[in-house]
Amino acid sequence: MKIVVCVGTGGVGKTSVSASLALRAALAGRRALVLTIDPARRLRSALALDTADGQQRVALPDYAGPGELWAALMDVKSVLDRAVRLYAEPRQAEIVLGHPIYQMLITSLSGMQELVAVERLDQAISEGFDVIVIDTAPSRHALEFLDKPEFFNELVSFPLVRLVGRTYKVWSRSPLSRLSGGALDLFRRVESILGPQLVSEVLDFFSVFQTVAEGFAERAQRTMRLLRRAGTTEFCIVAGPSRTARDVSFFWDELTRRRFPVSTLLVNRIWPEVADEVSPQASAQVREALDWYRDISRTQRAACDAVFDEFRDRLRHRQRIFELPRDIDGLPALRGIASQLDLPLGLE
Amino acid sequence: MSDRSGSDGPRTGPDPEASSAPLSVFCGKGGVGKTTLSLGLGLALARAGRRTLVVTSHPLPELALSISLDGLDQQDPASAERLFVIYIDPRQVLAEVVGAQIPSRGIAKRVLESRIYNNLIEIAPGLKEMAFLSRLRDVSHSRTADGGFDHVVWDAPATGHFVEILRVMRKFETYLTGPFAVRGRDLASFFGRADLRLLPVTTLEEMAIDEVLELVERLTDEFRLEPAGIVLNLVSPLLSDAPLPAAAGTGNAAIDIVLERLRVEREHFRRVRDAVRADCHPVPRVRGQASDLVLLDRLAESLRPLGGVGA
Repeated sequence: MKIVVCVGTGGVGKTSVSASLALRAALAGRRALVLTIDPARRLRSALALDTADGQQRVALPDYAGPGELWAALMDVKSVLDRAVRLYAEPRQAEIVLGHPIYQMLITSLSGMQELVAVERLDQAISEGFDVIVIDTAPSRHALEFLDKPEFFNELVSFPLVRLVGRTYKVWSRSPLSRLSGGALDLFRRVESILGPQLVSEVLDFFSVFQTVAEGFAERAQRTMRLLRRAGTTEFCIVAGPSRTARDVSFFWDELTRRRFPVSTLLVNRIWPEVADEVSPQASAQVREALDWYRDISRTQRAACDAVFDEFRDRLRHRQRIFELPRDIDGLPALRGIASQLDLPLGLE
Repeated sequence: MSDRSGSDGPRTGPDPEASSAPLSVFCGKGGVGKTTLSLGLGLALARAGRRTLVVTSHPLPELALSISLDGLDQQDPASAERLFVIYIDPRQVLAEVVGAQIPSRGIAKRVLESRIYNNLIEIAPGLKEMAFLSRLRDVSHSRTADGGFDHVVWDAPATGHFVEILRVMRKFETYLTGPFAVRGRDLASFFGRADLRLLPVTTLEEMAIDEVLELVERLTDEFRLEPAGIVLNLVSPLLSDAPLPAAAGTGNAAIDIVLERLRVEREHFRRVRDAVRADCHPVPRVRGQASDLVLLDRLAESLRPLGGVGA
């Protein structure tokens, strides 16, 4: 099994690249899954995700081999709901799913999207895919999720939450012999700062969510080990043609600092060179357009060359992908990208 | 009840008579250039003599990785004196609230370092958004007071998070307990009255346009807010209604690809223009291997109309 995680900032085409990598693996005979964040309308429909709930097999016309391409949207709510139903007792699950704090958790905890990527990956692995390509959130902060799987574990292991269970409301009125004076004082202060109603709602939620959270944290730790295994996982930095050096440095630092295996760089959406001469009859308008285009294309290619040079020893697999004049609107466009990809990622 | 916003210096509460600085907000999909545009507009305003604050969505060391104003104080010290850039960290705002509520520094420190505090502030719905808004309001509220600003530019986070912040801005009733209870009503009325100039940003490509049109619809339907304009970023210099030469006309396939690109751009432009009420402001992609400051300079020139600065 191979896992590829694509990281990079917004607007660089990570989703298209991720889908293309998975497509390439499928066309080479593998059973491949791409987990996407937020594909564009037409890509979404090409990947059969527009009406779907859960993962869908993508039809591959003109391909008759054994490979399969599957796609799924990594949406926070469906991944978490599924985890709750799988790992909590039915009564517990209903309480959790209907709890206002749970609703908030889904929408407002920063990093939830990344956190569920880890859970979703665990679900995918158990389904027996050969190749799993993960598209991550378009943010420099997406990698913070890789620090976070311990989050739930931390929260539920706080002694107060362990103690309370559903009897929180009763407990708050009785003597607290099992809690040290210091811990109780701390708790009271936090309560007065954040508001007792909020704190009590949150603790109530976590007392029920506890078992789910513990399971979540355990699976996350297991998945994290897999993500750090160089033979299995490859992190791929996807950059655009502007701010390339900065973005690549940033992600390389963030990944290596966390001991994730990264040796692949894709610089995407580069404007291809147009070296042809324009005919003498061409209008001033055409000349101006060409001049503008060439200037940008030249700058982009030079920036890409410079980054490739700088990272020559650190990122062994480097590739540039040229932009098409139209948006990625379906499988043919993805095949266009896939055919440009020449990375020995072991996907084939 | 005294105002415990926890911000710098003693505060005696908001002065309802003080006029508030206009607040220009760049919002939209990640990657379309909001941060660069915010700094560009900030520079344009500073050059026009306005004391300007840019509130970015990047912590400052990271901002230097995205785009930098380095060299401005040599090139134009007067403007450099008028342009301020900050990052409002909601955790920092909350830490100041804790500090204000717990006089003993030792105890305050223990609370701030405790796991339960750190985990609860992440979970508490809307808390960080309230903290952010509270600080944004503080920096925007007074034009005339010492240290106030003539104009505030907010480089808003990507759409989803931005919409969350707007919701918190509107539904202060949800936050009636805790440190922001007192400020909730005040915040809602402040942002209700404020000279808010929403500037959704998009590049001329499908995904960004889809997202900006959805955002504009949500702004009008859910929040009854009209954008002040739509910024079309990174456009080509040939974006206009004048006819493009026919593709076949150049007799050259590669050049035809360039023209095709421009044609597609125009289709996207028409789509946006026809879908929104607000005016569209195309901002051309800056050419050449410009340094950050040169790029921001050129950008500032084209953004002057957005700042209400004479062309």
